[in-house]
Amino acid sequence: MNRAWLLALGVFATIVASVTGLVLLPDRQLRGTQPVQDEERGIAVPAGYFGDAEEGRKVYMDLGCIYCHTQQVRPEGFGADIERGWGMRRSVARDYIHDEPPLMGTMRTGPDLMNIGARQPSEQWHYLHLYDPRITSPGSIMPPHRFLFEVRHSADGLPEDAVRLPDEFAEKKPAWIVPNDRARRLVAYLKSLDHNYEVPEAR
Amino acid sequence: MSSHAETIPPAPEERERLTRIQIDRSCRQTVVWYYASAVFWLLVGTVLALIASIKMHTPGFLADWEWLTFGRVRPAHLAAMIYGWGSMAGVGTLLWLQARLTRNRLPLPTLLPATAVIWNLTVTFGVIAILAGYSTSIEWIEIPPATAILFGFCIAVIIAASIRMFRSRESEHTYVSQWYLFGAIFWFPLLYVSAQIFLHTPAAAGAVKAAANWWFAHNVLGLWFTPIGLATVYYLIPKVIGRPVHSYHLSLLGFWTLAIFYNWAGTHHLIGGPLPAWLITVGIVGSVMMFVPVITVAVNHHMTMVGNFHHLKHSPTLRFVVYGAMCYTAVSFQGSLQSLRSVNEITHFTHYTIAHAHLGVYAFFTMVMFGAIYYVAPRLLNAEWHSAGWIRVHFWTTAAGMAIYWLGLTWAGWEQGRMMNDPRIPFLDIVKYTVPWLWSRSAAGVLMTVGHLAFAWLFWNMLRKRGAYLPGPTLLLRKGEPAAVAAGGGE
Amino acid sequence: MAAFYIALWGLAALLGATAIAALVWAIRRGEFDRLREASLSIFDEEEPVGEVTDRFPGQRF
Repeated sequence: MNRAWLLALGVFATIVASVTGLVLLPDRQLRGTQPVQDEERGIAVPAGYFGDAEEGRKVYMDLGCIYCHTQQVRPEGFGADIERGWGMRRSVARDYIHDEPPLMGTMRTGPDLMNIGARQPSEQWHYLHLYDPRITSPGSIMPPHRFLFEVRHSADGLPEDAVRLPDEFAEKKPAWIVPNDRARRLVAYLKSLDHNYEVPEAR
Repeated sequence: MSSHAETIPPAPEERERLTRIQIDRSCRQTVVWYYASAVFWLLVGTVLALIASIKMHTPGFLADWEWLTFGRVRPAHLAAMIYGWGSMAGVGTLLWLQARLTRNRLPLPTLLPATAVIWNLTVTFGVIAILAGYSTSIEWIEIPPATAILFGFCIAVIIAASIRMFRSRESEHTYVSQWYLFGAIFWFPLLYVSAQIFLHTPAAAGAVKAAANWWFAHNVLGLWFTPIGLATVYYLIPKVIGRPVHSYHLSLLGFWTLAIFYNWAGTHHLIGGPLPAWLITVGIVGSVMMFVPVITVAVNHHMTMVGNFHHLKHSPTLRFVVYGAMCYTAVSFQGSLQSLRSVNEITHFTHYTIAHAHLGVYAFFTMVMFGAIYYVAPRLLNAEWHSAGWIRVHFWTTAAGMAIYWLGLTWAGWEQGRMMNDPRIPFLDIVKYTVPWLWSRSAAGVLMTVGHLAFAWLFWNMLRKRGAYLPGPTLLLRKGEPAAVAAGGGE
Repeated sequence: MAAFYIALWGLAALLGATAIAALVWAIRRGEFDRLREASLSIFDEEEPVGEVTDRFPGQRF
């Protein structure tokens, strides 16, 4: 094994082979996947992200939500994702055509969020949960995101989306939490996560 | 002090044979800069690790500071350890090994140390960027691409130095470590550049980006860290015990089967995921085929060590390197098993995977790098480590800490996965179950931190040359040879 | 879809053939003949086979 060029060639060939097989060929297979028509809602799905939801996706990324939450529902019979109510069907590649990059995640310190918009449509719930997860979920180890909110103690001039903090979680009572722009956008993004439409490949 | 002329080195027959002392002396500035930087990033990464670990069981800890929120601290820890500690210790060792194996002085005496400075700056910008919210949110490659470009320059210089040393090498024989190191320095830039293209341009679309992500991340482990680690083990075990590698044939087999199979294992990170079944199956097959190179290497190292385990009592390097080599076998076996669907159904998405990752990056690679630094630093600086006691502290705290870490999270993860697959168990009950085990991980982390502090203290004193300056095999002198010979070093 | 599978299998076959060709070439060239010497190449007169080269600081041989 004395020839540098033979070694270099072999090294190069092994990686070209794997990138072809694991990235280029699947890309060839999946590229051009289109949204499908959702008969119930009368729109093409997946619909993509717009406005606040699009900005909220960036907040999700910058706060590192992927390190505790997944966005991929496993097939029936492999794990219990569907029985847990995390989705009506398994996730398919088509669900991610607008996701640049896909935020599939690798840890479930917290639950899967692929369909959190369908499962938990309440803005108030999300704001309370983000402010201090233990308000809505006792025993949760999710970090509080109080820095996404302003706390006010008077009902005067409160914006519409302010949420009353339960007394036991307020240092000074009464207290309301007012979401800042990042919180609003993040919650808009979470509410947009709903992939419970039917697709031909997962009937 | 002679100057390092930047001319083509003379052909092997013509020039005089360099002494090992001359070779080591030429490596001093570059390798010491890389090692010192690596130790710095080890400490930074350790602080970030402790913060992240505590936040998991005590989420209110430092929670009001947005820049320290768990979702930023965790990738910052990863970046500091992978690109700071691991890669810089790896590069330092890689350069020294190649100088030794080719019997050449380390070339490019201005450019190479400069790469250490640039690499440090890149990691610094990267870690700060992640904490400030500019992470790419793609695992293992969170440093923003504009910053990461600087790595490319450094690697190009390192490749140039490696090729130059290889082309003017003295020996007809290319030792096994050299193949692994060549593999590493060519694979890493190919991986990194390809990943940046696939992940940040339309070259790969939607879900395929996930395949590209895990092709990259898994190959960084298998084609950057693993080859450097194995190259180090293949050199240091024989060198320390004074016996050659057991079977050179097996070495060849081990290298090429690693090169072929490891490349294909990446999609085992996506089992059950939204990608074509054939892609996942290919990843599982590649992962299981890894038994071949791993068993090959394990047999080779074990048979080399047989009859020589008593040396573990006397050699710091050997302790760390053998611990590391054994954990390489363990983590690879575990990895192959984890890629089987029946096991993966339970372990995917759990703390089990984190334990596995640390068994690889820490128990294998980091421990081998500790061993390398213990061997190399005295030879570059002509000084002894100042305290055998602190070396023992370092070894036992990290060895035990890692064992506690792995046991705690492996058990927690397995139970977590089992419970997650039982839809009758509420999710928050599962979380509650894992909390005591997350505390055990913090306890293990504290032990490992003590070890890292001991190591940093030892390294600091090595730099200050507080250790005894003694003739002895560590300093490459024969008994009775005057110390002045080593001090002169042929320069 | 058929074209896709042909590409996949064709690639695999091409790679396998290349690997086998390289192996045969290497054997013919005698790359595998002097392996024992290669394993000894890291030793020399100063650090010969049989000599231990690492100790805890303060320990003697």
